[in-house]
Amino acid sequence: MGLTKRFGGVTAIDGVDFDLLPGEVHALVGENGAGKSTLMKIVHGLYAPDEGRLEVEGRQVTFVSSRDAEAAGVAMIPQELDLFPELSVAENLYVGRHRPRSWWGGLDWTAMRTEARRQFETLGIDIDVTLPARLLSTANRQIVLIARALMGDARAVIMDEPTSSLTEREVQRLFEVIKDLTERGVGVVYVSHRLDEVFTIADRISVLRDGLHIKTAPVSELDSEELVRLMVGRALSELFVRNPHQHGSIALELKGLSRSSEFTDIDLTIHRGEVVGLAGLIGAGRTELAQAVFGIRPVESGEIYIDGERVSFHSPQEAMNRGVVYVPEERQSQGLILPFPIYANITLSILQKIARAGFLNYDRERKTTDRFADALSIRGADVSEPISRLSGGNQQKAMIAKSLACEPSILLLDEPTRGVDVGAKSEIYRLIDQLGQDGKAILLISSELEEVLSMADRVVVMREGRITAEFDRDEATQERVMAAAAGVEEKAGAAEL
Amino acid sequence: MSKAAAMPRSETGRMPAGVRTLLLRPEAPALIFLVLLAIVLAFSAEGFLDPANLEDNIARVVVLGVIALGVNQVVLSGEIDISVGSMLGLCAFAVGAVGESQGGLILPLLAGIGTGVVAGSVNGALVTLGRIPSIIVTLGMLYALRGMILVITGGRWITNIPSDTRALGLQSVAGVSVPVIILVVLLVVVELISRNSTWGRNVFAVGGNRRAARFAGLSAGRTRFLAFVLVGVLTGIAAAIYVGRAGGVQTNAGQGLELQVVAAVVVGGTSISGGRGSSVAAITGAVLIGVILNGLVLLDVPAEWQSAMLGALILLAISTDALRRRLLREQPS
Amino acid sequence: MISAAVPRRLKLSRELVLLAILVALVIALSLMSPVFLTISNFLNTSRFFVEIGLVALGMTLIIITGGIDLSVGAGLGLVSVALGFTFKAGLPLPLALFLGVGVGLAGGYFNSLFITKLDLHPLVVTLGTLALYRGLALGLSRADAVSNFPGWFAYFGQFYLGAVPGQLIVFIVAVAIVWVLLARTRYGRYVYAIGNNEQAAHFSGVPVARVKTALYVGTGLLVALAAIIYTSRVSTARADSGTGLELDVISAVVLGGASIYGGSGTIAGTVLGVVIIATLRNGLTLAAVATTYQVLILGLLLIVAVFLNEFFRKTEE
Repeated sequence: MGLTKRFGGVTAIDGVDFDLLPGEVHALVGENGAGKSTLMKIVHGLYAPDEGRLEVEGRQVTFVSSRDAEAAGVAMIPQELDLFPELSVAENLYVGRHRPRSWWGGLDWTAMRTEARRQFETLGIDIDVTLPARLLSTANRQIVLIARALMGDARAVIMDEPTSSLTEREVQRLFEVIKDLTERGVGVVYVSHRLDEVFTIADRISVLRDGLHIKTAPVSELDSEELVRLMVGRALSELFVRNPHQHGSIALELKGLSRSSEFTDIDLTIHRGEVVGLAGLIGAGRTELAQAVFGIRPVESGEIYIDGERVSFHSPQEAMNRGVVYVPEERQSQGLILPFPIYANITLSILQKIARAGFLNYDRERKTTDRFADALSIRGADVSEPISRLSGGNQQKAMIAKSLACEPSILLLDEPTRGVDVGAKSEIYRLIDQLGQDGKAILLISSELEEVLSMADRVVVMREGRITAEFDRDEATQERVMAAAAGVEEKAGAAEL
Repeated sequence: MSKAAAMPRSETGRMPAGVRTLLLRPEAPALIFLVLLAIVLAFSAEGFLDPANLEDNIARVVVLGVIALGVNQVVLSGEIDISVGSMLGLCAFAVGAVGESQGGLILPLLAGIGTGVVAGSVNGALVTLGRIPSIIVTLGMLYALRGMILVITGGRWITNIPSDTRALGLQSVAGVSVPVIILVVLLVVVELISRNSTWGRNVFAVGGNRRAARFAGLSAGRTRFLAFVLVGVLTGIAAAIYVGRAGGVQTNAGQGLELQVVAAVVVGGTSISGGRGSSVAAITGAVLIGVILNGLVLLDVPAEWQSAMLGALILLAISTDALRRRLLREQPS
Repeated sequence: MISAAVPRRLKLSRELVLLAILVALVIALSLMSPVFLTISNFLNTSRFFVEIGLVALGMTLIIITGGIDLSVGAGLGLVSVALGFTFKAGLPLPLALFLGVGVGLAGGYFNSLFITKLDLHPLVVTLGTLALYRGLALGLSRADAVSNFPGWFAYFGQFYLGAVPGQLIVFIVAVAIVWVLLARTRYGRYVYAIGNNEQAAHFSGVPVARVKTALYVGTGLLVALAAIIYTSRVSTARADSGTGLELDVISAVVLGGASIYGGSGTIAGTVLGVVIIATLRNGLTLAAVATTYQVLILGLLLIVAVFLNEFFRKTEE
């Protein structure tokens, strides 16, 4: 009953081998962008591999959709728990599958409820199956999805970052459920950044890095230090060398900033001319923090000071008026208006300055755009063409240009080089350095450790909404940052079973 | 196998589970309001409890309620149907015309239902296959069907409807008038289908989380299409009752009804954004609207204010629904 | 000069198609009635479509942002009643006119409150306000009408400047203003931005809520203007004025090329759409086609127009 999957894919993952044995917990670790989710999406039928093959129980299979995968016994518990809020728990288990009927042709609720209860009983969990799903806690929703997978006779269950919103106790409960699954012969793929958990629960660990399979080994053969090294350890290819320079006064200061479930008690300072790297795992709260400072989300408690003066922004406009800009993570949905011409995108935030008495002035727009296009080497299309024509890297540069057009003094950059080719990346790095030279205060949110370490003067690490570590440029190492981000204690014998 | 560490039973709370679940149901606020309103009116409005007054109320409420049962399903699936006023008129003509020429009950009833099915299918097809937003389709159909009535009838009213055709509107069984029986029966049937059939559950799924519904492999298109067809069927039945009561059909039959139906559905507790509500909510809403309109008349409020009342009720209902959703989102899940 | 964001290819061919339709329509209608193809008829027609046209200007911007306003017809009735009945109650007519404008503005603002503050879908909100405004109009007027306006009031609706009807001039001025607003000012850019990607617009500092509010209030103003012109033209203030206006207006905007989902549309297109619909109405009326039939055709036209819009949009991509 062994499950073997072997494939290679272009760009995202390359020649990766992975297999899952029945009854084992196989952890899959790697940095953001290492290829973990691509791999799992292929396994679950959402993508088709360009090369390589998938085998289930020794037979080669091809999945056209996730339903195929589920029919073959491969189930996925995604990070976003998608249930039907108004349907009861029992119903959610049955959505999309054949439901038991009663004698008169209607649905047999009693049978459905009984079966649902049985499923939860075997998992050792107590959930009221008649409740509508929206009343459940996140932890319980997860259990429901697991139960649903089991009902489909899953032989392999993929869990994607299962513990990102759970409390300690809930994590313990989840582990007991996982243990139960394995005792039944179900194999579990545990995709996670939480290295301490990985060491607790996993039997084997596979490490991916930059789309390549680095190593697979039983957990007893690895320790956390080595694991981290395998995840990040490559020579810091210096794409860019930063010129050190003086820092000015404090431009931005956050004191005790909190917003319920997103981030807590954040104290942060950024000086003029300084680049502060904000590292952490997905879900650590970095984006939420930046958006709160920028005025997109309201802050619940704490203070924000700019140049010593207390401020509070209720809209992006207010923030920009005060010299703060935010370059969002998702350029297509949050940063750019794709059908608009390039110049319209770049000038969008400064129209009130460019327009004379409200009237648009194409020449001025064009001039401004050309200026930025030159400065940032935005190439690929004439500025009057829709911005969708540009490549990812140029689009990113255009998005940054839009923020630069506001003449900001504080820049919050959220994954500025995501999905950008190497050439554009180095151009963006050059730009960031230049901005630092010009005395701007920069917060660089990035999940690429290499980037953070080479660009930042100081590295702040967030984990689960709190700041867990702060390093100066010279003391920061990849291992230290990753350890702080993943919550691995820097003490001997971190592995527990 | 170890039992999991004891989880606090936060889901069931401290209230007796039965009471809490009842109060959380979507139709609860409307029901409570209805009872209170009825009591208030019984005391303050003269003639509210008169048998004659209640009779009048029944006619209005039943037609409204039967159609609301159908539109409720459409709204639950995430769409809207504002063509029902004209649809009723068209079906009423079908019932009346067949009744006038053939007499009897079965044929006219079938004619009415058949007309409704055709109209509902057109709506459904345009929305699911044509991918045109339901508001546009049903807005266009509202006017188109009204015009079609004129085309087909040439402006002629129907006045000579034999009494056996009017059975559904006039008869009583064991002292209870037939329209009420029909309403109750349909309520039970539709609610049963909604709760116990795959289609019924799919309606909630599609309206509650369209993306997840697609991923789970539900045929969202077919589900919504059938909802529109159901509206047609129920409108046909309502038309038979309407004709039975009125004894004739005018070219403006049913005009403005769509607004009352939408009001009934949202005021009763079904969420306009889909996925939440019930048939009981639709009926409660229909009764509530009927009582409110009746109350306005009894309190000597000029009939012209009815529309304003409906509009205010709709706005009130959707606002409270939005506030409720916003509050729920802020709560720890 | 390049105007905001609409790909030129699409715009040009769309308007040519509309012109072609208009020409075909004119030919067809002139065959149906001998009176149709006369100058006096053309000028007369232009009277009727001013009301639709004014409101369609506002509706265009609302639809570009992805919203909709079903309450415009009811709003017209309410403004008509407001100005008529306060006049009857003794208010000097100029003041009554101002009041009417105020009512129009207030109606638009009321709409925008629900849409921006509570984040409710414009569809249901304006469905509710449609009922509310119509009801208020009916209630306040007791289904009565006011007709004894002073002579100069008729001026608004029935005057000529030379041979051209006055309303047409009003309309042309309005078209010019709104066109400039949409195509040449930053507000127009904001409108397109919101319609194409509201989140990105918000993140870029576009004052989304304020723009939306302005659009609904602005439409309220246009509704008030249309109400004044209409009331003056028929010399009667009645609560059922403007019934069904929303159908003509939305059809005109959609016919003109605006996507019902938002993000595209032009004033030129809308004007052509308005002309086509008004011509259609006029021609049918002359051919003695009853209003209900006209409305039937219009209803079908709306559905077909939206379908074709989206169909061609998809093949374009």
